[in-house]
Amino acid sequence: MFSLHLRNFVRLEQKLIQNHLLSRNSSFKSGIALDKLYEKSDNHPTSSEFSRTDSKSTTEDGLAEQFTGEIPIKDISIQSCRSSGPGGQHVNKVNTKVEVRFNVNSATWIPEWVKPKLLEEQQNRVTKNGELIVTSEKTRKQILNQADCLDKIRHMIFQASRKPKELTPYELELIAKREEAAKKRNIEDKRRRSLLKMRRRGEFF
Amino acid sequence: MASKIPEKALHLIINAPRVTLNSIKPLPDSYTLKVRQRRSRAKGGQSGRGNKGQGQRMTLPRLGFEGNNTPFYMQMPIEPYYQNHQMIDLGRLNTEEPIDLNTICNTGIYKIKPNDNEYGINLTDEGADLFTSRVNVEVQWAEESTIAAIERNGGMITTRFYNPECLKAVIDTQDHFRKGLPIPRCPLPPQDALEYYMNPENRGYLADPSKLQEARYALAQKYGYEAPDYSMDRNPALFKKMKDPRQIFFGLSPGWVVCLKDKAIIKPKDEDYIQYYQS
Repeated sequence: MFSLHLRNFVRLEQKLIQNHLLSRNSSFKSGIALDKLYEKSDNHPTSSEFSRTDSKSTTEDGLAEQFTGEIPIKDISIQSCRSSGPGGQHVNKVNTKVEVRFNVNSATWIPEWVKPKLLEEQQNRVTKNGELIVTSEKTRKQILNQADCLDKIRHMIFQASRKPKELTPYELELIAKREEAAKKRNIEDKRRRSLLKMRRRGEFF
Repeated sequence: MASKIPEKALHLIINAPRVTLNSIKPLPDSYTLKVRQRRSRAKGGQSGRGNKGQGQRMTLPRLGFEGNNTPFYMQMPIEPYYQNHQMIDLGRLNTEEPIDLNTICNTGIYKIKPNDNEYGINLTDEGADLFTSRVNVEVQWAEESTIAAIERNGGMITTRFYNPECLKAVIDTQDHFRKGLPIPRCPLPPQDALEYYMNPENRGYLADPSKLQEARYALAQKYGYEAPDYSMDRNPALFKKMKDPRQIFFGLSPGWVVCLKDKAIIKPKDEDYIQYYQS
């Protein structure tokens, strides 16, 4: 059974929920009504407790901004068209291939420091105008292909936000030692080789 | 110029054959063709039936018979999937009211057999790309892509459990009331199903309501649509209607006896009964 896993989707805290909670009522209340099961939980949070994360927010350290996995659907363009491959009437008529595109530089939801890296890593998918295009025709359903496109975009951005590992002084020392040792070995090998060749020629220094 | 039609008609009459016995024929329906007997030298003898056996003696078995082993046309089990029901498009279901198992069974074109261990409806994602209705639907099982398909059109879906006794009441409500049975109190699902119905990701009816919002938003992010906002809907009453976990009909409490003949509802007065149904 095919399933799409959200590879890098970070759990969105309460920050991103904008909607007001709907108060639902039933005509009958039993001993296991939801109000009684979940008395302690905050059933009616006010809108002031929630706030949208803003990638533009100024932080002391610019590198502290991280991509949370949220993509504002209004700011990207989603189009569908017909898929390729076998499939008879269904593939000929139904728009199951999904194409998602957005301009990387004008995207407010990607941290600034990630953008150049993203453009470099995905240069094959970026147009002259700086638009990143991601397509998917993985499944037979448009809804699943759309999810796959978004999943791919998230994966790309998380890949581009990878930071190189910070090495401790002990590790740096170790690396320097090993590089030196490797250089030495190289030179020794070369000397040995050249001596052997000289012997074969019959030259003796 | 004179018309040539009279001339042509005269020409036809002059050249028509004489009416004789062999130039007239009765109407086709009034006669039947005689069966031609096969009497020539080649068609006689066994008359094309071979020698002895079932073939000659007209005792061949029925078409498809394979000598008493299960024939080909009976090897495959019957799986009557409902196709082209289109309940919403053809107006059998009202999308302005909540849709649940009771509403769907009342259409008369969908059958559930509790005696075959069927517990309700599993809403599949077939046709998810074409679905555009805004509904408040309650089923027994739903996949993630089904939930996404409904919520992206601004609808609401909940999954809910009915035990066999409640199921019978929900499927054929008239029959249940005619028997004089009270509205049953729905128990909690069994242990192996409890986890499913308490999970907000499955939109279970026992899930924490505050976590449901989060789950809806997360799914909207995954599938790429705007999360549904029920309070801003043009008909928020549709989504406000809710059933208690013990309640199986909207507006009716468990323990009540509905008398269809007198068009009255009989409620219990005994303390024990009231306590039992309120628990």
